[in-house]
Amino acid sequence: MSSETISGPILTSDGIPLKVSLRKAEKRNKIRAFLLVLPLLAFILITFIIPIGDMLSRSVDDRYINTVFPKTFEVFKKWDKQDLPPEEVYETMFFEINAAKGYKIGKSSTRMNYSKSGWKSLIKKSQRKFKRIKEGPYKEQMIEIDKRWGDPLYWKALGEMVDPTTMGYYLNAVDLKYDSNKEIIAQPENRRIYNHTWIKTFKVSLLVTLFTLMLGYPIAYLLATLPLKYSNLLMICVLLPFWTSLLVRTVAWMIILQQNGVFNNLMVIAGLIADENRWKLMYNETGTIIVMTQILLPFMVLPLYSVMKTISPSYMKAALNLGASPLHAFWKVYMPNSLPGISAGGLLVFIIAIGYFITPELVGGKDGQMIGNWIAYHLKTTLNWGLCAALGSILLAVMLVFYWVYNKIIGVENIKLG
Amino acid sequence: MIKTIKLAFLGLISMAFVGSAYADLTFVSWGGAYTASQQKAYVDTWSKGSGVTVENYNGGLGEIKAQVEANNVTWDVVDVLPDQAITGCDEGLFLKVDQSHFINDMVVKPVSECISPQIFWSYVAFYDPAAFPGKKPKTIKDFFDVKKFPGKRGIHTWANALIEMALVADGVKPSKVYDVMSSDGGIDRAFKKLDTIKDHVVFWSAGSKPLELVSSGEVVMSLAYNGRIGAAILQEGKSFNYIWDGQVLEQEYLVVVKGTKNEAEAREFVKHASTAESLALQAKYIPYGPMRSSSIDIIKKGEPFFNTGVDVLPHMPNTPKRLRRSVIADPFWWADNGAEVSERFGVWKGN
Repeated sequence: MSSETISGPILTSDGIPLKVSLRKAEKRNKIRAFLLVLPLLAFILITFIIPIGDMLSRSVDDRYINTVFPKTFEVFKKWDKQDLPPEEVYETMFFEINAAKGYKIGKSSTRMNYSKSGWKSLIKKSQRKFKRIKEGPYKEQMIEIDKRWGDPLYWKALGEMVDPTTMGYYLNAVDLKYDSNKEIIAQPENRRIYNHTWIKTFKVSLLVTLFTLMLGYPIAYLLATLPLKYSNLLMICVLLPFWTSLLVRTVAWMIILQQNGVFNNLMVIAGLIADENRWKLMYNETGTIIVMTQILLPFMVLPLYSVMKTISPSYMKAALNLGASPLHAFWKVYMPNSLPGISAGGLLVFIIAIGYFITPELVGGKDGQMIGNWIAYHLKTTLNWGLCAALGSILLAVMLVFYWVYNKIIGVENIKLG
Repeated sequence: MIKTIKLAFLGLISMAFVGSAYADLTFVSWGGAYTASQQKAYVDTWSKGSGVTVENYNGGLGEIKAQVEANNVTWDVVDVLPDQAITGCDEGLFLKVDQSHFINDMVVKPVSECISPQIFWSYVAFYDPAAFPGKKPKTIKDFFDVKKFPGKRGIHTWANALIEMALVADGVKPSKVYDVMSSDGGIDRAFKKLDTIKDHVVFWSAGSKPLELVSSGEVVMSLAYNGRIGAAILQEGKSFNYIWDGQVLEQEYLVVVKGTKNEAEAREFVKHASTAESLALQAKYIPYGPMRSSSIDIIKKGEPFFNTGVDVLPHMPNTPKRLRRSVIADPFWWADNGAEVSERFGVWKGN
């Protein structure tokens, strides 16, 4: 930088310009530094970047079906979407179903079934019976084999697959879909499940974050301020459940909270509630929130504790000496100092909660299921990985938005784990 | 390059699912008393080749698809439900197997060319007789009748079988259930019937849960897997009554995963596991119904057949008399409509 202000090159003892020599040395250092981080970089690339990239591409990828029905889709595009498609479409469809070797057609029919239930068995049956058709015209013969070939709804559903990329999975993930002209419309009312579930997922996650904060803050305060022999004991009380299996804790809550469970029994014996009005605390949203709060509590307590440990007690003493009321001193002095811990704990709990699915699956019952449960369902049962990827990507995007908002309001530099 | 990395990544996933690779034949099933019965009936009796490692999973094709796509197959033989058998066979996750030795001995037609027969199990209603001192519920109609038999009902958190049961309870003949489900308004009708018990329902998702719900009095009756109820009665001496009327039978199959490194051995193993003798032997340890007719004959002749020295046929879902008032679940219907109905069921549960 400063060397540039001097005119004429400065030479090192062996006659090479200093700039060149410095650059060389710097380059060597850079390579060495790069080699040191290379393992980590490779690790992040393989376990983080590529999977996420793969997920993002799966959520819009529709190439496979286009390799099985290229000609059909080409002639399909010319169809005016009125009534039934022309003979030409039937003909190419007939030949491409016959030509598809091995598992190709099965995989395609699974894809087609996502946009219209019934395609799967239609293709399977047709594949078997197409042998009977010796020559064209094909339209009538195909409709004779199965009357669904004469149902325009099936044909129109193909419209969303004719391009190699699709937004269909994302639309599905927010209760929308394409109509036959590729216009975006709402799903029929009795299938609108995802928006509802999204809202529930955020609501439950926010409530769990709030409750863990309310419960965790005093515990962390005690941990940070009690004499060592008490605080160690308290710390074990916090960590012990943390080390216990998630399933054990979840099942324990079932036994305590169900309608004939320990809690309700005690309330009835104490005469606080009538036997027939037992509280519904399990197998619903309430149950999900209670159990998740308990399970995620350590994730709030630990960051809070490590931050509070660094707040010198003399700050509070000084504030009190200067005449602040205890409440005022806490609000103006202690709370702002503990904010990095609140931020870290809050973000940690929220991020974990938003993707939770084991606990909601077990205790969620009728209305406590979250978006993670639907991802698991499609991942395992329908094999609709495109929809899973879309749901996952939205989850990721929402997370980033939350992070951005958080950064704007509070600032990332205020996150501290100790 | 990207493709190799992608494969490596998928390999990582599948490894995460499985833990580690085995040299033995790896047989994957559902765990619990069911896998224990399989262990005794045909893993312990399997003498060919190397050993068999038994692992558990929670169903679904997710893990298998990841293994096949990554070309790193560590599960050789898997116990699957029929809709998975169909989808997996269609998508090329399973190998086609020789079916000549059982094809003419099946209670129902096999659903795909990839399967070897296992058992029938059923979703069936049951109750603790102590909960009904007077008149006892006898039909699926009673299960849906909260006026005649007040109290809570336990049902599972997914739609399979509930749709069928609701329709039978609404007066549809068991043999006509899928016709109604495929017709316009058929599903609406089922949901309407489900509405009548909605406020009286406790949901369960783990198979052991309904027994606990009924035992603890949390519900007065519940749907459950028949084998679980049978095991509770036969082995733990509980007193439960079945309501066989309107039960929904599901099938269970074995498949060989495509890309297995032990193909020849895996094929031999599923053959061994689906002989009439093996299937009958399994009923000694769990009251599920074998899918081969000749196995049922073996059991009939051998009664009392159960390992504790009691009759097992009274606990089996597929006796001729019970089959008359049962629905045999149609995996093709569910492969077509499963996702759509599940979403509807989710909406129904949540509102």
